[in-house]
Amino acid sequence: MYTLLGLIAWLCLAGCASEKSLLVEGIKYFDGEMPADFSGFWVRDYARSDNINKVFQNATYELARKRGANGPAGPMASERDMSRLIPLARLVELITRTDELTISQTEYEILIERRDDFALMCAFFDGIAKPTDNAFGKESCGWDGNRLVSVTDFPDGLRVVHRFQTSEDRKQLRVITTASSDTSPVPFTLRHFYWRVQKVPGKFECIETLSMKRVCSTGELEL
Amino acid sequence: MVSVKSRVALLTLAVLVVAATAFEAAARAATPVPASSDGSVLNVTIPVFDPGIPADPSVFRDLQVFPRIRQIEAMLMPFLLRETLVKSGRWGAVRVTTKPDDAEELQIFGTIVRSDGDWLELRVRAVDATGSTWLDKIFSSEASDETAASHRDRGTPEFQAIYDDVANELTALRARLDEATVANIKGTSLMRYAAVLAPSAFSDYLEQNDDGTFRLLRLPARNDPMLIRIETVRNTEFLITDTVDARFRAFNKDLARTYRVWRQYRRKVADYEAWNTNFAAAGPGDAERGSWESIKHQYDAYKYDRLTAQERDRLAVAFNNEVATTVDAMEARVAELNGWVEQGYPEWSRLLEGLYEIETPLPDTGAER
Repeated sequence: MYTLLGLIAWLCLAGCASEKSLLVEGIKYFDGEMPADFSGFWVRDYARSDNINKVFQNATYELARKRGANGPAGPMASERDMSRLIPLARLVELITRTDELTISQTEYEILIERRDDFALMCAFFDGIAKPTDNAFGKESCGWDGNRLVSVTDFPDGLRVVHRFQTSEDRKQLRVITTASSDTSPVPFTLRHFYWRVQKVPGKFECIETLSMKRVCSTGELEL
Repeated sequence: MVSVKSRVALLTLAVLVVAATAFEAAARAATPVPASSDGSVLNVTIPVFDPGIPADPSVFRDLQVFPRIRQIEAMLMPFLLRETLVKSGRWGAVRVTTKPDDAEELQIFGTIVRSDGDWLELRVRAVDATGSTWLDKIFSSEASDETAASHRDRGTPEFQAIYDDVANELTALRARLDEATVANIKGTSLMRYAAVLAPSAFSDYLEQNDDGTFRLLRLPARNDPMLIRIETVRNTEFLITDTVDARFRAFNKDLARTYRVWRQYRRKVADYEAWNTNFAAAGPGDAERGSWESIKHQYDAYKYDRLTAQERDRLAVAFNNEVATTVDAMEARVAELNGWVEQGYPEWSRLLEGLYEIETPLPDTGAER
């Protein structure tokens, strides 16, 4: 019993520590250019991405197995565990539902635009991450090698972590999203894969303006 | 021989000055004003304000500083102060310039401390030609829709209260000066200008104190030929400055409309922010901690706030896009005019120094006897 508890505690500590050590404020993650370039327009590869129902089933099975909770057809999570895990799974489903990502990257920041959600922003000045925070949460970023890690902490113990990594040829992008909370026995993680798509240049060049909204032209814009 | 040299130098100087005048013959709204103000009124120069952009770009977002917009505000705001001072009728020529003019009778420097559409804080410093600081303080004001409605064609009329306060304080400070002090400021102004342009002839008229202020020791005769030339050059420079000023005014009018739209959006964003705060404060109701309702509420409170901040950034980009052409054209024109003055200045200085040398008789040492 003590061995099992010790193992769980160790696993939790190892997981927590690895994330925390990545995101210590003031750490200089890199010199010069950012470790990876994520810029581009990305569309979801449904064939390789996780199916949320399967992931949820696996998570509850593992949880039940760890707890030794068996039902008639094998390990079965308790109603209480399920009711704690379901909200996290729903949240991950909600925030990963976008099938397109538009990522822009400058010398200082990476902006990950997602449809129907706010854009994740990672700003680095001289290689040091600049967190984005408001009264309702805090977004911190860091690098794990060439993987970009974005962590959003919410006031009530809720945490959402996104890990971004491109393939060597920069044609594919993997995004691992994890939601955790001290109210849930285990975190919930979902992996999605994206293909980089070269957008065909349109016939028009458009810019946003204040008073005229979107202004498009066939040539260079002269306001 | 000396006379021929002198004539050549005079002719060259005249050609340069005439060229300067001709250069901006099409100066349209430019109004030349005498080098030194007459009577008891003081000329005022307002250099383009310091936009107050922090050196560290990592704090821009936290402080809601949009550098390009700040730079535009720094060019627009001096005009409102200028118009307010002109309207008061207490001052001579009031000019907005791209650079400080340390020899001006009175200079007013402004730094934008805070400008978020609803609130404006300006640090204003006024220094006269002797180097004496009249005032150095922060003025602040909340936007007023009333003044905005009555000055629709101007850049930031919502903050007219600030410009009125500055003008009133300056007028009160001016009223405390006696005529001798005002005459001293005017004389110092002219001699500082002259000493830079023709140091051999005029550097002895001034003395700089340890604290950096200037003391006027004496003045040349009003009909001193060198002084008359200096005044001619200064008037020429003012003509160009007034042309730049006129350009700025046109620019101000062009940008005012877009700036007003920007301010309206900023206010809308402020409304969204208030809504976000209320939403977050309302909480998830009776939902249990860790429940879907509770988690969703936490996520949404953060999400709405981030979306609002990102909308604000998007609007700043839209503003920059809309005004880019006007600002670029304006900056190119001002650079052209300033470049002309900067190139002409050393030439004027060289000619004036040459004339002074030619016209100053050598001390009679008796060596050639």
